[in-house]
Amino acid sequence: MIAYLAQRLALMLATLFAIITLTFFLMHAVPGGPFVSDKMMAPEIAAAINAKFHLDEPLWQQYLAYLGGVFTFDLGPSFKYPGMSVNQMIASGLPTTAKVGLLALLSVIALGVPLGVVAALNRNRWPDTAVMAIATIGVAIPSYVIATLALYVFAMRLKLVPTFGIDDWRGYFLPVFALSGFWLSYVARLTRSSLIETMLTDYMTTARAKGLRPGQILFKHGLRNSLIPLVTVIGPVAANLLTGSFVIEQIFALPGIGRHFVLAITNRDYTAIMGITIFYAVVLMVMILLVDLAYLALDPRIKFGARHP
Amino acid sequence: MTALLDVDGLTTSFFTRRGEVKSVRGVSFRVAAGETLGIVGESGSGKSVTCMSILRLLKTGGKVVSGRALFEGRDLLALDEDEMSDLRGNAIGMIFQDPMTSLNPTLTVGEQVIETIIRHRPVSRAAARQRAIELFDMVRIPSPEARLRAYPHEFSGGMRQRVMIAIALACEPKLLIADEPTTALDVTIQRQILVLLKELQAKLGMAIILITHDLGIIVEFTDRMLVMYGGQVMEEGLVTAVFRQPAHPYTRGLIAAIPNIADDNGQRLRPIPGSPPDMHDPPPGCPFAPRCPEAMLQCRVPAPMIQAAIGQSSRCWRLHPDAPRPVEQDGRP
Amino acid sequence: MTDMPVDPAMWAPAPRDPASLDRIARPNLTYWQDARARLWRNRPAMAAFGFLILLCLAAVFGPSVYSHNYYEQNLQYANVPPAFPTYAVPQGDGSSQEIYFNFGSQKLYLIGADGALGDLVRSSRKDLMRKTQLYTVGDQQVAVDTAKSTLGLSDGKPLEPAGWRWNSLYPLGTDQLGRDELARQLYGARISLAVALVATLVNFTIGVLYGGISGYLGGRVDMVMMRLIEIVSTIPLTLYVILIMVTLASGFSAVILAIGTVYWVDMARIVRGQMLVLKEQDYVAAARSMGASTWRILTRHLLQNTVGPILVTLTMLIPSAIFIESFMSFIGLGVSPPEASWGTLTSAAVETLRTHPYQLALPAGAISLTMFAFNFLGDGLRDALDPRLRS
Ligand SMILES: Nc1ncnc2c1ncn2[C@@H]1O[C@H](COP(=O)(O)OP(=O)(O)OP(=O)(O)O)[C@@H](O)[C@H]1O
Ligand SMILES: [Mg+2]
Repeated sequence: MIAYLAQRLALMLATLFAIITLTFFLMHAVPGGPFVSDKMMAPEIAAAINAKFHLDEPLWQQYLAYLGGVFTFDLGPSFKYPGMSVNQMIASGLPTTAKVGLLALLSVIALGVPLGVVAALNRNRWPDTAVMAIATIGVAIPSYVIATLALYVFAMRLKLVPTFGIDDWRGYFLPVFALSGFWLSYVARLTRSSLIETMLTDYMTTARAKGLRPGQILFKHGLRNSLIPLVTVIGPVAANLLTGSFVIEQIFALPGIGRHFVLAITNRDYTAIMGITIFYAVVLMVMILLVDLAYLALDPRIKFGARHP
Repeated sequence: MTALLDVDGLTTSFFTRRGEVKSVRGVSFRVAAGETLGIVGESGSGKSVTCMSILRLLKTGGKVVSGRALFEGRDLLALDEDEMSDLRGNAIGMIFQDPMTSLNPTLTVGEQVIETIIRHRPVSRAAARQRAIELFDMVRIPSPEARLRAYPHEFSGGMRQRVMIAIALACEPKLLIADEPTTALDVTIQRQILVLLKELQAKLGMAIILITHDLGIIVEFTDRMLVMYGGQVMEEGLVTAVFRQPAHPYTRGLIAAIPNIADDNGQRLRPIPGSPPDMHDPPPGCPFAPRCPEAMLQCRVPAPMIQAAIGQSSRCWRLHPDAPRPVEQDGRP
Repeated sequence: MTDMPVDPAMWAPAPRDPASLDRIARPNLTYWQDARARLWRNRPAMAAFGFLILLCLAAVFGPSVYSHNYYEQNLQYANVPPAFPTYAVPQGDGSSQEIYFNFGSQKLYLIGADGALGDLVRSSRKDLMRKTQLYTVGDQQVAVDTAKSTLGLSDGKPLEPAGWRWNSLYPLGTDQLGRDELARQLYGARISLAVALVATLVNFTIGVLYGGISGYLGGRVDMVMMRLIEIVSTIPLTLYVILIMVTLASGFSAVILAIGTVYWVDMARIVRGQMLVLKEQDYVAAARSMGASTWRILTRHLLQNTVGPILVTLTMLIPSAIFIESFMSFIGLGVSPPEASWGTLTSAAVETLRTHPYQLALPAGAISLTMFAFNFLGDGLRDALDPRLRS
């Protein structure tokens, strides 16, 4: 178990390191990027950039300096806004992104799993057909289409919710709905197929042959086992909710990190792009680690050093 | 003597996209308290479906079309689901073929035994645990207390099957259905498990239905036997009687296929030529007729069970008093 | 029952048909025939397949066949919908002139005798008192109340609606620069599908090579390569694509390079797995001892065993590529104007959502339908190729 965790941790650090390195060298390759010293910009910014990135030193020293910055949680100054640091940008966007993202994650789990269970238990009857039809739509339609449609219908036409911002609690509905739509459908489909597969296993027949009550059979034997593959996708789901927030925050004009990121891309604010990418990567690695811990708690086969199922 | 289990005219089909699969067609048999009934037959002959119909554990699409299964005078097929689940794991225990997959991988084996006891007996968890330890001891799992806390993947196949037996016997059933309990195990382990079952039967006095492909196991471990083919009972009788003089050509074919018996005639293993019938559209009359060396025109008419000897009967027109003796009698001593 | 009378003739031996003994119950189709038959029976999958073929044909031939092109701007006719309500303006000579007022862009058009969109009429003056715009149509003054969305004559008499007309000039309307929507759609489909196909091919090649080499060499190399795969599959792909696009500056080839190099991991895993299985198998050793070249063995056996899962992965990969491309376009990293893809079209439509909502319907509908189609086809393929589901 310790060995498993250590291995996962090592993998995560390696990935993080790979991302930082990739980001650094890609940004270095950008013509007119942050690491080119002769450029037209506010002298204030140029000075800050020089102080931060040691542009007069050799490449490897710049790299080390940047790495050092990242590991002391200092992502440097903005490339476009004088006096603004990437840390400040992230700090200002974090509450919004975190609130919307967590609500979306919550709705993915709290709605997706029960919907999948209902569908699996009513296999080939109307609740199954209904859930699967909705889930198929949800998986096929891109989130930004759902977002704009929802924005048009519910905010502009029916005026049930505000068209932008989350100052009003009703403002959360559409962004959370649009952000979670795809993954909610995905999780519902996955839960359904996983539960159906579990239902066909021999040990479920054993559970029935022991005379257990239907509730016990479903929750203690069925769901527990079918949730294992689900736990493994929660990491990627969290990752995609984060990146999905780029467009959602843009469409609903939410002042989150994703919006800063998209703005940074449009403005070619390279240091912000770099910093926010790395911030995302760290968040994701932490999520994946948490998911691993959950997985460990759910599947005894790993605990005892057995191979992955 | 009234039977513990009296199955009459059991007919079960699976309704699939490709149509109706008539898996079991009018199977009747009885099991007396404390006796061991063996069921043999080729793969797909309907042995498992027969048992699962009785326990009402058919996979989706499976339906009992008609028939009765009286257990202690109550028709299992007419009970409501609550009454049925009160019987399962309680008065009727079941063991499956593959011990590697029939235990839940995410629960300790102890929990899987204990939950069965708690389900059927009004006892505390501690008492159920105590009982589970006794059961593990009874099925000879070493250091039972410690093993209760282990997960299935920490056990070998033979040990897992012992756990399954412990679960099946947790509530001292009157009937134990064992569907090929040793097919998935090593030969040496097979014997250990069967001997253990026999011992436990002597101790607890339950009846056993033992499904197997192995006629050797039938001879050694069962009192009466049922030979199934194409979803029907081909022959039924005391094991000694059937082996002394098999009445159905199919039974003769099976016995002739056992190497050491055939060796007496200086012959090698002789598989029965041909393949089992398509259960979507089984042949009219005797399902074995297309492969039978003794088939007659009459064999297209469904045959009744005809008594062949005391305690032995068979579904073969050759036993009809007017029927001619076959020219060549395969596999008869 | 034993004394049941039987016709003595029936005791004759049954005729024996040795061939029937080996008759196998179910027609014995090969794996591929069986898969094809199952796919054929799968209605949604076949419908999806048909749709995709039509779409590809439209994307390939559409732009060259269709009269409009995707880049030509005609600002006069900007933001005109595919169908519009017209009004009849009675003239002094008893005839009447049909007009159409576009409330979204505040423009008034004359309708020609053939029902086609005609000239733009400039507002002659603003009536600030009544908050109306005045237009001269023939010998009449038309007053448009933009607040109430009503049209009337200058004397306040409301105009008679003359029914809806299809836009015969631009069948699917125009965008905010007056470019033909249908032409842009067709062109967008071409770009989106091309990106998806090329990117998928690049992924396929990388995946097969990487997995093949890793599995074939085995040992330490395999271990290192698999560690690398683990790292790559942990990197959030969207971030990677964004970084690449930022570095390369947007454009068609940047999109392909970015998307083409992210989704090969699954493919590599499948191929490597098969390669490992193959290496263990006796018939490979046998084929080799009989002098078959390694290359031949690999291509024949490897392909035979991996084509199913690879096909399914590919059908699932194409929509991912389409999606990620449109996603990038949406956040401003896609193909550059005047080129269009479904992503840029959607993103442009969002800007005008409030005033010209119809512009969203086309790109959003096209991309959603395509995603649907690939999903259905992929599901169908998987079901058809997975014999476990055979029933
Ligand atoms: N879930 C199912 N769906 C459709 N047909 C089924 C199903 N289960 C069993 N059958 C059919 O029922 C018939 C009898 O199957 P059964 O499992 O009882 O055979 P068996 O005698 O137990 O064979 P084995 O020795 O292989 O266990 C077979 O023809 C099989 O195809
Ligand atoms: Mg069976």
